[in-house]
Amino acid sequence: MNRLAAKYLRPSQIPTKACHGCGIGMIENWLLQAIDELGLKQEDVIFGTGIGCVGRQTFATWGGDNFGATHGRALAVATGLKLAQPHKKYLIVVGDGDAASIGTSHLVHAARRNLGVTVICEDNMGYESTGGQFSPTTPAGYVTNSSPYGMVEPGFDPCDVVQAAGATFVAETTATQWHQTVKIVKKALQNDGFSFVHVRFPCNENFGAYALGTRDTLKNLEWIYEHTQGRKTDGSESDFTWQTGIRHDASNSKPEFTSLLRSMNAKVRAKMAEEAKGR
Amino acid sequence: MATTVRIPVKDGLVAPWMDWERRCPDGRRLLEAGTYALTEGAIAAGCRVFAGYPITPATDIAEYMSRRLPQVNGYYMQCEDELAGMHACAGASLGGLKAMTATSGPGYTLMHDAYGWALTNEIPLVVVDAMRVGPISGITGAPGQGEFYVARYCTHGGNFETIVLSPSSVQEAFWLTIDAFNLSERFRTPVTILTDQVVSDMWEDLFIPGDYDALDFVVPRKHNLMMPFYPVGTAEIDVPPNLIGQGTGVCVSAYTHTEEGYDIEEMEAQWAQTYRLVNKVRHHRGELTRYEAMGLEDADVIAVAYGANARTVKTGVLEARRQGLRAGFVRPITLWPFIDELFERDAHYVVCELNYDGQLVREVQRAAPDKTKVHFMGKSAELHTVAEVVAGLEGVARRGRLPELPYIWTQVR
Repeated sequence: MNRLAAKYLRPSQIPTKACHGCGIGMIENWLLQAIDELGLKQEDVIFGTGIGCVGRQTFATWGGDNFGATHGRALAVATGLKLAQPHKKYLIVVGDGDAASIGTSHLVHAARRNLGVTVICEDNMGYESTGGQFSPTTPAGYVTNSSPYGMVEPGFDPCDVVQAAGATFVAETTATQWHQTVKIVKKALQNDGFSFVHVRFPCNENFGAYALGTRDTLKNLEWIYEHTQGRKTDGSESDFTWQTGIRHDASNSKPEFTSLLRSMNAKVRAKMAEEAKGR
Repeated sequence: MATTVRIPVKDGLVAPWMDWERRCPDGRRLLEAGTYALTEGAIAAGCRVFAGYPITPATDIAEYMSRRLPQVNGYYMQCEDELAGMHACAGASLGGLKAMTATSGPGYTLMHDAYGWALTNEIPLVVVDAMRVGPISGITGAPGQGEFYVARYCTHGGNFETIVLSPSSVQEAFWLTIDAFNLSERFRTPVTILTDQVVSDMWEDLFIPGDYDALDFVVPRKHNLMMPFYPVGTAEIDVPPNLIGQGTGVCVSAYTHTEEGYDIEEMEAQWAQTYRLVNKVRHHRGELTRYEAMGLEDADVIAVAYGANARTVKTGVLEARRQGLRAGFVRPITLWPFIDELFERDAHYVVCELNYDGQLVREVQRAAPDKTKVHFMGKSAELHTVAEVVAGLEGVARRGRLPELPYIWTQVR
């Protein structure tokens, strides 16, 4: 067993249930590397997921405490959990559907509150677990199982949304950026506030099959690489390019949400104690 | 597998809080609203998190909580919507803090997914649904009883039982809230306090204990830190809830799960999980008995009601008795699991509900020995008046049927 898996994961749940060639297992390795390099122990981290490929393929792989919320609600649960357990590191690993579609409301408000969690939004640009329907991050015009004539809805980048809402750390990477992602996740975890790391990765089974016409692992990864670099292997430009890197770093510049409530409580109770003494 | 529990039925008030006032070392009397009593009851029970969304008539609970919780080092959180609120309460409870939310029908409906998540993962918490007249937004400031069945079937998928309690006075709301927290801890499950706009908004005298830390009838929060997190093949209660944050490795899942809590797609696990969720309630119905009854020994016609309108209905029964009718009264306080034994007497039943579609009446029809002797007095947006109740009881006692009364529905089908 790989050293990181032995240190942090639940033996009965590995190897991952993800499809052959999917990026989820690989990205999870990177998350473990980041946690390990920061010197964190299993009991220092609470792992939360949702529904969908990213939710289901990661849930319970974590050997420590973890929860798999209903679709889109991992951040709603984390908001309450952090009140009771404020001093843990929270790794909320969710997909594009979970975070940027059904869960967008909670995403926005957690960012607004500057809740002290690190959201890893692993984006395979569609609802792949249910067979490959489009999602709000599917590129324009791409064919999916529910956009057979090409995606007509405008999409968005969830990074824009969380940044506008007040997130204090926002970054973009892809599945062909190992070292960058590990560095970025380490920084994200060191922000005592809302960190959002958006990692785009390939889906061979559905996105690959319908949008790219191939389930070949290398070809799907190549597609990710081309759109990270901005050019295809033959030198021509790709149809669009993703901006990657740290977009916004205001780490530790604003108070973390639950610490605001604790400060308020301390003030209220100090005042009550004074008034009691005065009587 | 079957364990038969029979609930004994007798006149009077049957509830654990009968002697709680006596057990309080000191206290004071206030004139206060139901929402105040629901809030203080929660604080007295050890609630330290409220996460919800304001909605009439439960808004006052949110406002009181925003003032009280910081005073006791707890947290008031106003969430973006009710479903976030309920999920946040489940998260807080998982993290070790007793939690509560309060809403009305439109918000309660949004909580169903979260309710199911808490239920399937055996997470204690308390939800107040202060019903108002519907359907949907209805009339904001008028009482209803439209969520009787919704509270029993408050999430999808079947394979569960729920605990639902309903107070009928401000004082009872205070004690019953403590009781709801106790039951949620003992049964490791969310408990619904199904109340209504009248009980929430009305002002009555209220006894409040002086020192909440000195109450010997509050079940304290304990935690289970070891496997099995979700014991299989057992319907035991008093199993402490699980805790996230101590590195026990507990898994909390939306799916059918194993003893460790991670998802599994096997019949055996489905059976084992369902066995526990259903039978921990069914096998312990005796611990869930709360009701008020009057005149059952000799009654020919028995009025049935719960919540706010039970007050006027009871007065109607007393008046009918004064006029010589052998009238009785049954007020279930535990709505679910339904206490069938309360309706075993072969008499006429007049079910007075604040809805026109008939919900409680269907359960009474099912439980009573002769369903043709179960009559429906449905009303909406206003309590049944004493005169209406007396007319109804008289009609049934003397002519076997309810008289025609304005704004009263008698058809169930």
